[in-house]
Amino acid sequence: MKINERSLPQGMILDIQGDLTYANRTVFKAAIEKAKQACCKNLILNFEQVRFVDSAGLGLLVLTAQSLKRVQSKVSLLKPQIYVREVMSLANIPTMIPIYEREEDALTVRAA
Amino acid sequence: MMKSNVMKSARQAAGLSVQSEASVATILLVEDEPVTRASMVARLTRLGYRVLEAENGRVGLDVARREHPDLLIVDWMMPEMDGPTLCEAVRRDPLLKSSQLLLMTGQDQPAQIAEGLSRGADDFLSKSASKQEIIARVLAGLRTSRLVRELETTGNHLESSLLLLKRSQEETEADLQAAASFIRSQLPSQGSLAHGIVLSWEYQPSLLLGGDLFGVMAIDEDNLALYILDASGHGVAAALRSVSLMTFLRVDNILQLIGSYDPGKVLFEANRRFPLSADGEYFTLWVGQLHLPTGSLLYASAGHAGALLSSAQSPSRWLTRSSFPLGFDPSAQFACDRLFLKPADRLFLLSDGIYEVPSSNGEVWGRVRFQEVIDAGRQTSLSATIASSFSAARCWQQAQQFSDDAAIMGLELTESRERTFI
Repeated sequence: MKINERSLPQGMILDIQGDLTYANRTVFKAAIEKAKQACCKNLILNFEQVRFVDSAGLGLLVLTAQSLKRVQSKVSLLKPQIYVREVMSLANIPTMIPIYEREEDALTVRAA
Repeated sequence: MMKSNVMKSARQAAGLSVQSEASVATILLVEDEPVTRASMVARLTRLGYRVLEAENGRVGLDVARREHPDLLIVDWMMPEMDGPTLCEAVRRDPLLKSSQLLLMTGQDQPAQIAEGLSRGADDFLSKSASKQEIIARVLAGLRTSRLVRELETTGNHLESSLLLLKRSQEETEADLQAAASFIRSQLPSQGSLAHGIVLSWEYQPSLLLGGDLFGVMAIDEDNLALYILDASGHGVAAALRSVSLMTFLRVDNILQLIGSYDPGKVLFEANRRFPLSADGEYFTLWVGQLHLPTGSLLYASAGHAGALLSSAQSPSRWLTRSSFPLGFDPSAQFACDRLFLKPADRLFLLSDGIYEVPSSNGEVWGRVRFQEVIDAGRQTSLSATIASSFSAARCWQQAQQFSDDAAIMGLELTESRERTFI
């Protein structure tokens, strides 16, 4: 898994490449922790290049949402692929973490 | 007669590095010519080494086996046993592995050097070598000897550690096997579950212990409780958490806690008791209650991929709805759905590990392909259909072992009208 970080005035985007799974949890957690340390108030996880999310990956997403909420920060998902979207939907994730199709929307809506 | 002699070190001359080596090093000089031997012994002794001497190869081998010298300086031509033969004998002796062999020769022809090396010598020393060259070659030989001894010591430690590690692994493996057997013993028996209901399942944990569990239990004489749970993550930790939830789901426990096996209420209570862990670990759970006389199935899901209903009359369909897994939202409610099972209907409870298998290019097999295998299996037995699903998944991923726990439990209602427990 590779995670590229982009800092913008309206928030931070993590471009994630690879599967979000139990095996990759350490890399993901480190990236989230770094974003929190940077006091990011609007974190956007770009899932365009994420092909698969397993149950452990879902747990990490929810932990991320909960921990950011505690520090008055927000997290959203950008452009998840169809299969990932199905998995998210089954676990009702979109009611907890908003999903956007366009980067501008994620930045403007969430920053508002 | 053997003539060996331990000489006291003179501890003089030749600088610090030589003295440092000399403080521990023992050199055995094997030379038949008395004058040359005495001269060399004197020279080495002056350099501070402990020097032993022998007048031929046979005597030299005896001394070497007794004293384990760091370095042997061996003449080529000697009576009884020549230098190269002594080198071969030393190399064959495992207790002399670290001793370095410096072969002395009056010539330095390439063919002779090659023969000496092939017969076990580590280096060569010309009989006409200067004092500086002798010191340099002796130091090099002693340095190698010390390194080989250090390697031997390290190797011995590694060997002992490896042995301990192997024993420890065997014990852990035995413990895990026992735990896996226990967990397997908690899974339902296959075959006729009740008059009119057949049960079959297949389960392959990704590791020795799995985090997916399922069960079928009698609530009373007319009702069955069914569930399948999936702990996020793998291995021992996931298995332990699963057993904890499995214990919670026991009929006597649930009836005591909430008074019925209503799936929505079971999930609500489980959601309260099994929060998301600090590491993001959680469960998904599907729970059903089957009323045997009528075939009424009441079910609810907490984020679980759920169950699949396969009917003779229509294509299979999933029995699940979008819902939070356990622990995601402490206030979550879990709605129930109801349907009526008919004779010949098959109900499959399954973990996502069975269809979330990637092909060699990363494409996931998926729910739709899994469903097609289930539909195609209508003409075969329940157990054969389950086996086909596993085969198809393995074929897709081109591997026998699953990367996640894979489980399918299937129930089939036979044509019998009366469904009661055996």
